[in-house]
Amino acid sequence: MQRDEIYQLLKQKYGFDEFRPGQYQVISDLLAGQDVLAVLPTGTGKSLIYQFAGTLLPGLVVVISPLISLMQDQVAHLNYQGEKQVAALTSQVDFQTRQLTLRQLPQLKFLFVSPEMLKQPAVLTAIQRVKLALLVVDEAHCISTWGPDFRPDYLGLGQLKQQLGSPLTLMLTATATAQVRQDIVQQLQVPQAQQVIYSMNRPNIYLAVANLSNEADKRERLRQLLTTAATPAIVYFSSKKQTELIAEWLRSTTNLRVAAYHAGLSAEDRFKIQQQYMTGQLDVICATSAFGMGLNKADVRLVIHYHLPTTLADYVQEIGRAGRDGQQSLAVLLYAPGDEQLVRNLNELTMASANQIQADYQRFQQQQPVPDELAAVLQFYWEHHYSVSQVVDIFDARQRQKQRELQQLLAYIQTADCRRAILMSHFGEATVPHREACCQLAGGAIPLAELGLTAGSVTTTPTTTSWKSLLDQLFLQKI
Amino acid sequence: MFADYLLGLFATEPRRAKAVYNVCRGRRTVSTLFAGLTYQELAWLDSWHGVPLEKFEAAAQTLVEAGWLTAPQAGYWQLTPAGEAQQVKLKKTLYQPVAWQQFQQVDVRRFTALSQLALQVVSEYSHQAKRYYPVTTDPGIQAVVKGWFRRWRSADLVAMIVTELREFLTTLSTELATIFVQSLTGYEQPGQTDQQLAEQFNRSVVEILVIRKDLSCQWVAWLQAHPDGPLADLLRPLVKINSVSTSAWQTYQTFLQTPDLDQIAGRRHLKLSTVREHLLETAILITDFPFDRLLTPTIVAPLDQLFGSETAVSTWRFDQVQAAAPILDFFWFRLYQIMRCQRAA
Ligand SMILES: [Zn+2]
Repeated sequence: MQRDEIYQLLKQKYGFDEFRPGQYQVISDLLAGQDVLAVLPTGTGKSLIYQFAGTLLPGLVVVISPLISLMQDQVAHLNYQGEKQVAALTSQVDFQTRQLTLRQLPQLKFLFVSPEMLKQPAVLTAIQRVKLALLVVDEAHCISTWGPDFRPDYLGLGQLKQQLGSPLTLMLTATATAQVRQDIVQQLQVPQAQQVIYSMNRPNIYLAVANLSNEADKRERLRQLLTTAATPAIVYFSSKKQTELIAEWLRSTTNLRVAAYHAGLSAEDRFKIQQQYMTGQLDVICATSAFGMGLNKADVRLVIHYHLPTTLADYVQEIGRAGRDGQQSLAVLLYAPGDEQLVRNLNELTMASANQIQADYQRFQQQQPVPDELAAVLQFYWEHHYSVSQVVDIFDARQRQKQRELQQLLAYIQTADCRRAILMSHFGEATVPHREACCQLAGGAIPLAELGLTAGSVTTTPTTTSWKSLLDQLFLQKI
Repeated sequence: MFADYLLGLFATEPRRAKAVYNVCRGRRTVSTLFAGLTYQELAWLDSWHGVPLEKFEAAAQTLVEAGWLTAPQAGYWQLTPAGEAQQVKLKKTLYQPVAWQQFQQVDVRRFTALSQLALQVVSEYSHQAKRYYPVTTDPGIQAVVKGWFRRWRSADLVAMIVTELREFLTTLSTELATIFVQSLTGYEQPGQTDQQLAEQFNRSVVEILVIRKDLSCQWVAWLQAHPDGPLADLLRPLVKINSVSTSAWQTYQTFLQTPDLDQIAGRRHLKLSTVREHLLETAILITDFPFDRLLTPTIVAPLDQLFGSETAVSTWRFDQVQAAAPILDFFWFRLYQIMRCQRAA
């Protein structure tokens, strides 16, 4: 396919004249039959790539995606863009609907599925029977960061890919160090894949860190930021409980329209909150990190981390949800001494001692059932004929890696120099010189006014309308 | 809180905890259904579908800690005097569902999802919006609504839907009608979440959940009484003629032709014990079960003698029957119990 034709289709189908950075290159590589690993910053329209390629290549596009809520967002987004032949197979879909989806596979264009669901024999067999246009591994860094000790089915993806007849493969991620890229192509057995890598740097996001002495100060600083800086904002927390508590506190102590968002909400409430936020009916979302992965809101002005992210890569992804419209935006990380302990506790959840691993191997040999999550992870290794000492090494390496990542995160917080330089060198990129609108150096203030990020006029809570007039607004009748 | 509603399901006499929970969770074993009948809680059948047992247990534990429930024996709860007072208070202040019996014979949950999407589709259609995010991505729900919309799409559809909604909503209090409409999803209106409605109406989130479930049930009941419109069409395939399971109902139909249980077992290719369970289920769930066809005077006489004047059916013990009339097995005892409950009602 010629360049002209591709651009014509872009105009015709999506109404754009230009591709976002990286999109064209990845699409043309795929059309040339090349596997591609694409590292494109958040907000560059990664879904357009497989949508576009899927339109041109005959067959089904299978998208492997890590989270149910993300898959639902992606399906809704494709529906929104007029793609009708889209479905997600998740653990939340009931058995009957799952069977129906598998039967209708030949008529589908896009199928979203988790690695755990994909390996189920019924699903795998059904997919094997249809022609595949493209296999997409979305959030491909999960292979490296979640595979070894959390969701080992990510490690089995290479084998699954072979069982699907090694189709054309696209690996997508927003942030990946050289090591992570290496892990991805190795695990998926695509050493020849084209690597299309764009800078993770988002110059329109001002980077700030607030060092605070305790929890109370952190809360107060949060409220101060949200009431003085421009919104819409997302505030990230490491626990569901905290999103609810702080959202409620903000609702009662400010005029802001605030909602909590986490995996514990019903699908309906998740939808409603996302759409309220998208349509400007909410100013602030207090969320766990899943929020925003599938969100297409271009004008988020502020991302605050109330708790530490787990890694710098996660941090870059999460703040990347700000300023997709290219306008000036702000990312603030709130830190109080001891916050790193939360990350350590989280890391320990996936830790396993040599003794535990040895004991679980015996369990496996005696064909005992899987008692807990750790055993479920280990089971993968035993089924794939790893030895105890190999697994001990993998778990050790992963824990050391996590400790290193935490140190890197703390270095970002504690640096006296340019924060952007720390991020960029972490991802192996050449740094850019610091300037006023780059980042907040230690001890400095955030220049809200200079950045053009002071809060707008105060919003008032909407007055209740009667159900009769609401009904009239919902259903427009020509009189 | 969920526990507030749970407290409403216990009484001053002991009730088997698991049976109460399983009635709510919609477990249709004969022993659960029988407990529902004797506790007069069949209206709650399937009303808390999908809620795990642990959640019930944890809620019960908070009621014990509050001093409202006590365990007269393991596995049973009964109200303490303070619990009884609390229950009376809550029944006055807490929203009480009025139409939950719909859960028994209508797939209310599925209808709620279909109705939510169908109303969104019509709302967007009325504004001529072509691109929007659907409220659910469930492919089964989407397919049904797509087919429905294709059948009903016409110049009058919007007016028909609005007329139906208005008529239904005027049967409700202003508060309930507002909650119903504010929770809808449509053009430029994602709808309010349960949390947002709770704050606005000064009720707890669980109360809003109960209200919305009850509103769905009331909406279902209204549509059954107005069966000609477009939304009733969406509901129709989800309504069963009664709450008896399909296989039990087939057994019952055979029974109406042949009262001989062995013959029924042969014809239906079922074990005798299954036939008996099917008949017990039917006897519990319908109001006009012909008990006399099975409970002949010979069977009833010894049971009447034992329990004739006893009205607390759930306190009767089978070992009393075994001592007095060893030829009667459990089936006859249970069927007699059901008959007595039904006749007392
Ligand atoms: Zn800088």
